[in-house]
Amino acid sequence: MKNRPVKVILWALFLGVLVFYPSLFGLYFTNIFVIFSIYALYATTFNYLLGYTGLLSFGHAMFFGIGGYGTAIALERIQGLPLLPAIIIGALAAVMLALILCPLLVRVSGTAFAMLTLAFGQLMHVLALKLRWLTGGEDGVGGFPIPPFHIPGVISLDITDPKKFYYFAMVVLALSMWVIWFFTKTPFGSIQTGIRDNPRRVEYLGFKLPHTKAVVFIISGGFAGVAGSIYALFQNLISADDAFGIGNSFAPIIMTVVGGIESFFGPIFGSAILSFIDELTSRYTERVEIVTGLILILVIMFAPKGFSGFLRFMRGKWLSPPNANPALEETK
Amino acid sequence: MKALRFVVAVVVLCILSLFLIPQARAGMDAFDVNKMADMSDFDPNHPVIPTGDTIKIALVASFSGPAATVAQMYWACATFVAHDINKRGGILVDGKRKKIQLMKADHMSKPAQTKKVCERMVLHEKVNFLIGTNGSNNMKVINQVAKKYKVIAQDFTALSDELYNATNFTKYSFMTVPSCEVVGKALAYYYGKIRRKEKKFYILCQDYLFGHSMAKGFKRGLELYFPEAEIVGEDYHKLFLKDFAPYLEKIKASGAEVIYTGDWIPDAENFLVQARQMGITLPVANLFLNEPNMLHRVGIAGTNRLVNFSMCGAAEGSAFPTADQVKYYHKWHDQWKKWKAPYNTYLYEHGWSASGSMGSYIQQIYWLMSVIKRAGSTDPDKIIDVWEGDSYRDVFNTVYYMRPSDHKVVADYYVQIYGPPEEQKACFNIPPYYWFKGCSNPIKIYRIPALRCAPPMDTKMARCKGRDIWGNLIK
Amino acid sequence: MESDTVLYISQAMHGLAYGMVLFLVSAGLTLIFGMMGILNIAHASFFMLGAYFCYQVLSMTGNFWVSLIVAPVIVGLLGVLCERYLLRKLHAYGHVGELLLTVGIGMVILGSVKIFWGTESLPVTVPQILKGLVKLGGLEYPIYRLFIIALALVILAIMGLILYKTRLGMIVRGAVSDAEMVNALGINVPAVFMFVFGFGTWLAGVGGVAVAPILTVYPGLSDQVGMDAFVVVVTAGFGSLKGAFIVSIIFGLLSSFGVQFVPKLAPVLMFGFMAIVLALKPAGIFGETE
Repeated sequence: MKNRPVKVILWALFLGVLVFYPSLFGLYFTNIFVIFSIYALYATTFNYLLGYTGLLSFGHAMFFGIGGYGTAIALERIQGLPLLPAIIIGALAAVMLALILCPLLVRVSGTAFAMLTLAFGQLMHVLALKLRWLTGGEDGVGGFPIPPFHIPGVISLDITDPKKFYYFAMVVLALSMWVIWFFTKTPFGSIQTGIRDNPRRVEYLGFKLPHTKAVVFIISGGFAGVAGSIYALFQNLISADDAFGIGNSFAPIIMTVVGGIESFFGPIFGSAILSFIDELTSRYTERVEIVTGLILILVIMFAPKGFSGFLRFMRGKWLSPPNANPALEETK
Repeated sequence: MKALRFVVAVVVLCILSLFLIPQARAGMDAFDVNKMADMSDFDPNHPVIPTGDTIKIALVASFSGPAATVAQMYWACATFVAHDINKRGGILVDGKRKKIQLMKADHMSKPAQTKKVCERMVLHEKVNFLIGTNGSNNMKVINQVAKKYKVIAQDFTALSDELYNATNFTKYSFMTVPSCEVVGKALAYYYGKIRRKEKKFYILCQDYLFGHSMAKGFKRGLELYFPEAEIVGEDYHKLFLKDFAPYLEKIKASGAEVIYTGDWIPDAENFLVQARQMGITLPVANLFLNEPNMLHRVGIAGTNRLVNFSMCGAAEGSAFPTADQVKYYHKWHDQWKKWKAPYNTYLYEHGWSASGSMGSYIQQIYWLMSVIKRAGSTDPDKIIDVWEGDSYRDVFNTVYYMRPSDHKVVADYYVQIYGPPEEQKACFNIPPYYWFKGCSNPIKIYRIPALRCAPPMDTKMARCKGRDIWGNLIK
Repeated sequence: MESDTVLYISQAMHGLAYGMVLFLVSAGLTLIFGMMGILNIAHASFFMLGAYFCYQVLSMTGNFWVSLIVAPVIVGLLGVLCERYLLRKLHAYGHVGELLLTVGIGMVILGSVKIFWGTESLPVTVPQILKGLVKLGGLEYPIYRLFIIALALVILAIMGLILYKTRLGMIVRGAVSDAEMVNALGINVPAVFMFVFGFGTWLAGVGGVAVAPILTVYPGLSDQVGMDAFVVVVTAGFGSLKGAFIVSIIFGLLSSFGVQFVPKLAPVLMFGFMAIVLALKPAGIFGETE
């Protein structure tokens, strides 16, 4: 803790950049930053399952999607619905979905869990395509009214302005991320890592494994729903492929692996790296698939621990005594 | 006295017709092939893209992903127009002659990506125009971006009527492509008023907004022009379906005489190939079964009796009635022989012409150029002023009219009947007297008058209340 | 025959033919998955490669039968290369890495296909001898679809022979149920893995060649097929070949009779069936419960 002042200064600097970001970088990069942050939260909720509890979900998009659809449909159908209830409806929809799936999913783990989530994710995709009266099919729900962010007597923010949306999104997303981070630091967080590392011991300690898994699953799903809800508000559109497509289930996996599974900040790094790659490929090449595919293969082959693994490796190399083993650092 | 009354009546009718028939309006801008630049150095593989102080146009389409062919086609069309205009010295806007700078904006067929790339084009590249695109869901996003950042969008390929209804309309976007209902009505008009033979129809469309719009338009058309027709079956299949056999078996058992479909490739190809393999030789009324590579795969017999809606066409009868049209044909076709992959296929051989959609795309983009020229500015409000209620005559002498109330184009359209190569000379009246040797292609073209296939207008919109199909107030 | 009977028989045949294509793809997927624990996302891309190589060989030799032999072999060899030089090195890092690697391989295959063959659809036609229809008392059925059914049955028979009548098959079956045990017996498990991966991708290649004459051969050919095959594998139970065969046929029939009777629900039926099965038996119909 000796470099606490340095940390404080760094955080202050970071916050300062965040606050002045829109004026510094202009509208276009502000919008990119919003998308990056939404995916950072989304990937974090995914890693809350995988990194902290050892549950690999191949269908995480179902929560993201249902959160988006929940908010979009609520705003479209209910006249004069304020903003916060709309977001809460989205999150609750995701929580409901997690509740329904829980009894099925908590019984299994490992690959079976992955397969089942993939299967249910696809089921959601097909349903979103098929229930056209509700979801608009392939075209999705778009152009719904977006109410201002309004707390009487405190603040009223017209979030259709991209700049104001940025601040609004930053607050909601950072708050959500902080809550998840907080969960990982509570005793409950330790039980989670226990499930990941040694499920049997957790059971011997008297915790009911399925119940704990269910709680984790619901928290993760709920916050993925928040991410989806903000996404729908940002795009003013949510469509079946964007929301439930298989690519959207793989996105957080790729981000987490690229960023690093074993760190809370890994998925956030991952989201940033992928935003960057995406920006480059969409600008300089039409061969998006082959470039992204090659990058993915290279990262997995040569840096399987991801970006944060790489950071730790570098830190281990430079900051530790010469013969300290960088691998030991990772057990923290 | 009687004679005087007659004269007065005639004069009144003439004046009325001036208002009712936009074709008769004086001073209409028109495409003139004789003003075209020398195109012998045009190559879509190596387009010359000017930079600097230019008129920037972003072509939004799926340049990557499974539907990349479509974007490649749009690109060939747009660069062709830009090449011509730039060689003529550009367009005088805001007191300065500027060239056209085309930019590729890849939406990968995903609405979210569309939004992102359009914002990059508008905010970062500062483009003046967004034109596109394949997929009505993506077009919807383009229109939203156009509205939000106040730039002009041109819809030259997405056909859904709903894009310009009360919920989605924005004054910044113009639909220059015929809508689904136009297609449906025109084909229904052909069967009800011209052909008057087959009466049993089977509708097979894709299960999303566009497919349902296509079906709705055809049903509306049958109600209007062919009340005694019978719809013996109606199915909506999911997009990118692989196996059409179960649907085809139903069609076989239904006793249908004509299949109506709005499918595009790959669905259209899977559908046609499998139908012919299953021995179903029924005529198919369609919009996108005109891709020559696919037609070759199915062969002459299998493509015979296709009935295509065509977005552009010549006068009834031959495809090249005047010397101008022959000249224009060679502007493209003579270059095509020199191009390398991917532009060396059948798809691009007559691509500009009446047999394909590309001819229409090119002429629609020329219309945009003409509007910019006459507005003398890239300022959105000035463009809107000029384009609303504007008329433009294309190379085939078809007049496009931009309905001011909801920004949909009103024009005559065409229905083409396909036949084997030896009969194609009736239509392809210049050497070598056939379109393609290996497949059927148009042998006869029918003009469907604009009044019979006008796009619907959403009267829930304040701008449209109490207006006729030309957007004029009904007194 | 009654016209309704004819209709239903035809629909059943269509369901069977589609089921057989599904089986060809899902058999490889389930073998690879059951044995190596890898969900091969690139599997459908290998299927698409089969169709593209079929076009290539066909345009070079003009003989469909040559491409039916050659194209899948090339696909299988590519599969072997991917296993040997990419997947094997990742085995130590667990399944997430392997999965993402196959995602990457799938993307690279898609990108390469576009570079080599462009984006337009390619024409592959039915060989002369298999053109036309079989007519039987009012029933008309395309010969080529009968050929697909026969081809899948022949391959099923070959697979059965290899798996149940040879030493290699015994090892593979053993490795599916317990790879460590087989390894402990002194058998070169990595080599077996390589063989299985190659064989699985070969099967996908055969599927690709089989459908090339009836489907649009374009860069989106693999969409959906992979997902359908995956649903088959999940519903049948991971690693169960018998299950994959039966469930493929069930899905084929569901899809054709679904279109016949409840067209609006047709695409949901398969997933609904899967959801019911998984609710009752999370390991799939023929899967072993953990």
